[in-house]
Amino acid sequence: MTDATPAEPTAGQIRDLSRGRDMIVCEDVSKWYGDFQALDKVSATIKEQEVVVVLGPSGSGKSTWIRCINRLEIHQEGRIVVDDVELTNDLRNIEKVRSEVGMVFQQFNLFPHLNILDNVSLAPIWVRKKPRAEAESQAMALLERVGIPEQAQKYPGQLSGGQQQRVAIARALAMEPRIMLFDEPTSALDPEMIKEVLDVIKTLALSGMTMMVVTHEMGFAKEVADRLIFMEGGQIVEENTTELFFSNPTEDRTKLFLSQIL
Amino acid sequence: MTTSDNTSSSESPGSSAPSTLVAASARTPLWRDVVVLKWVTQVFLLAVVLSAMWFLASQAGDNLRARNINTDFDFLERPVDIQLGEGIDTHPDTGGRALWAAMVNTLRLSVAGIIFATVLGVIVGLARLSDNWLVRRIASGWVEMLRNIPLLVQMIVYYSTMTAALPRLGLDAGPINGWLHVSNKGISMPRVHIADGFYQWAVVVLIGAVAAHFVRRHRQRIQDETGANASPILWALGTVALFGLVGLVVHPAFFWLGAVFGAIADLLDSLPNAVPQLLLSAIAVGFATTWISRFVSDHRSARGHLSLTDDDWFRIAFTALVSLVLVYVAVRWTGLSSWILNSGRDLFGVLEAKFDVDGAARPFDAMRPDIVQKAKFPNYGKNGLTMSIGFASVFFAVVFYTSAFIGENVRGGILAVSKGQTEAAKAVGLGRGQILRHVVLPQALRVILPPTGNQYLNLVKNTSLAVAVGMSDIVQVGTTVFNQTGRTLPVVAIWMLFYLSCSLTISVVVNWFNVRMQLVER
Repeated sequence: MTDATPAEPTAGQIRDLSRGRDMIVCEDVSKWYGDFQALDKVSATIKEQEVVVVLGPSGSGKSTWIRCINRLEIHQEGRIVVDDVELTNDLRNIEKVRSEVGMVFQQFNLFPHLNILDNVSLAPIWVRKKPRAEAESQAMALLERVGIPEQAQKYPGQLSGGQQQRVAIARALAMEPRIMLFDEPTSALDPEMIKEVLDVIKTLALSGMTMMVVTHEMGFAKEVADRLIFMEGGQIVEENTTELFFSNPTEDRTKLFLSQIL
Repeated sequence: MTTSDNTSSSESPGSSAPSTLVAASARTPLWRDVVVLKWVTQVFLLAVVLSAMWFLASQAGDNLRARNINTDFDFLERPVDIQLGEGIDTHPDTGGRALWAAMVNTLRLSVAGIIFATVLGVIVGLARLSDNWLVRRIASGWVEMLRNIPLLVQMIVYYSTMTAALPRLGLDAGPINGWLHVSNKGISMPRVHIADGFYQWAVVVLIGAVAAHFVRRHRQRIQDETGANASPILWALGTVALFGLVGLVVHPAFFWLGAVFGAIADLLDSLPNAVPQLLLSAIAVGFATTWISRFVSDHRSARGHLSLTDDDWFRIAFTALVSLVLVYVAVRWTGLSSWILNSGRDLFGVLEAKFDVDGAARPFDAMRPDIVQKAKFPNYGKNGLTMSIGFASVFFAVVFYTSAFIGENVRGGILAVSKGQTEAAKAVGLGRGQILRHVVLPQALRVILPPTGNQYLNLVKNTSLAVAVGMSDIVQVGTTVFNQTGRTLPVVAIWMLFYLSCSLTISVVVNWFNVRMQLVER
């Protein structure tokens, strides 16, 4: 966040994060919707400050996986450990994880009955029990960071899609999370607005936030990701550093996907 | 509007216009001019409605006179022989008093019914969305059963069950000592009633309410500044309660207010009729001018350009006309002015009398239930607060019945809030209760309120079925009154006016909330 490590390497450069702390650990995570298996023994570890981009065709389980990590979806087999807290049916663990993990949705999901400032400061006031004045000044600082302080008194319905998504990022950051999850943050945006949102996410990545991003923006993935994970049919097909993933994919399925998308 | 563009272009000199526009710049004939047509239809429609009303009214008047049917309201002042099952006055002296006592019964039923139906309906609606299978099933069973059985049948079922199952009321068991007494005549409990000192005490509470307002603001500021929960509402309620308690002792200190009210009454008595006439005219003209000026400034663009459609002009003219009519009525109808002065004087005179009490008078008194035997059968006396079986059966019937519909409204409203809202709220760490309170309910209310307002209207109107179980509501008592006096039409008019004003009050309140709930969009 604001006090994150200042002199991080620039994006795209290969960073050695392997000695960092494990922030997200998934072991053989499986999930079914009725007979349909959405996740099939997904295992992955995400280190502190690492930026991981998840790729894959529609219905490959990317969104389901990322939503399992703050338990918007419940996995049925395997383990998920987030910042040393295992996600079980224990309500206290779930709430702890959710307040440590920020999430940005494809459809923004801002609260339409609250103005922008209240959207951002709602959770700090009611979950972190911050004084209203402090929560609001923090919210203003965050809105400045995502570049829209002048919209603070407006309502979500009065903002453009790109502005709404930036507010959604500010809202997630207001809880001072250690991990950010992005579920296709630019898929519902006009091409012109995609850049303004990606720029915000990029600066966030540079500030050392641990991030998991589901996206179809290949340029963004190349530029920002430390590691890429390619999924299909609920399984992880390939997992590699960004450079190797694009220059030398090992699996045929990955090659096919890249040839179609690039 | 395109039409006004047309007319303005027809007025402008067409010298420089190309030849193809000549037809448009020529003067539009009246029967094709949309503006003229619109005005003619508005005025014509108004004339048709007014003359139809005048025709019907005069026809009805002629026919009633020809058949010698009396339509005056003097029965309100004449004695009647009516006994009400319950209410503020069970043996009213006059027809007016009887109808008033019956209205109070209907109002009690409606207000209590609306409150309890809302609470129960919200519970039922939330239960239908519960994760718990059993709770969900029970709630949907409740809804399906209650809304598919006619209300009248439910009412009669409750009535017959209660009268059969509850013990008979009798004097042979001796005088009653308990606080609560239940029998097939109803439930009687101690009645707390206002005593002589009440009005002085009410002044103390009023001061307390003002103080509470400031206390609430102060606590709210503390909460905003420190973030600690300063419970401003609780503090405000506590302040009122404190003043209420202290008022029990200190209220005689306000005896002098009686003299103030007396002085106001004397002043109103000495005023000439011209004062209220002038005041009413000023209010009418003032309202009209502020409305028009605000209307005009609302239609003025930021650069000062005024754009008014024909409809807008019609509204302005209509408002001005109405205010002039009101001024005429106020000036010509001197009876209105003297009525205002007289009733004002009477009101303050009554208030003066209320404060003219013995210094030690208590604000409240309580009496325990009693049983009396005036005729063949014993019944509860006036001391206790008694809910009759009739009232109970109507009350439970309308509450249960309406709760089923309100429950469905609540369920639909909550389902109308998109799943993404709950997910986003969960993702920022809000708990279940917080999500419901801060995210889901404020949005669901937009959907819930309008149909629930309709259910409130239905509830009030449904209480008129009380006649089936012999509960003394406005319909039952009204029927008795017109049977005894023969004034059918006046009683029907009073019924309609009563239900209409209840319904309009509910509509206004619901609409006010509804407007406040609207989402701000682009």
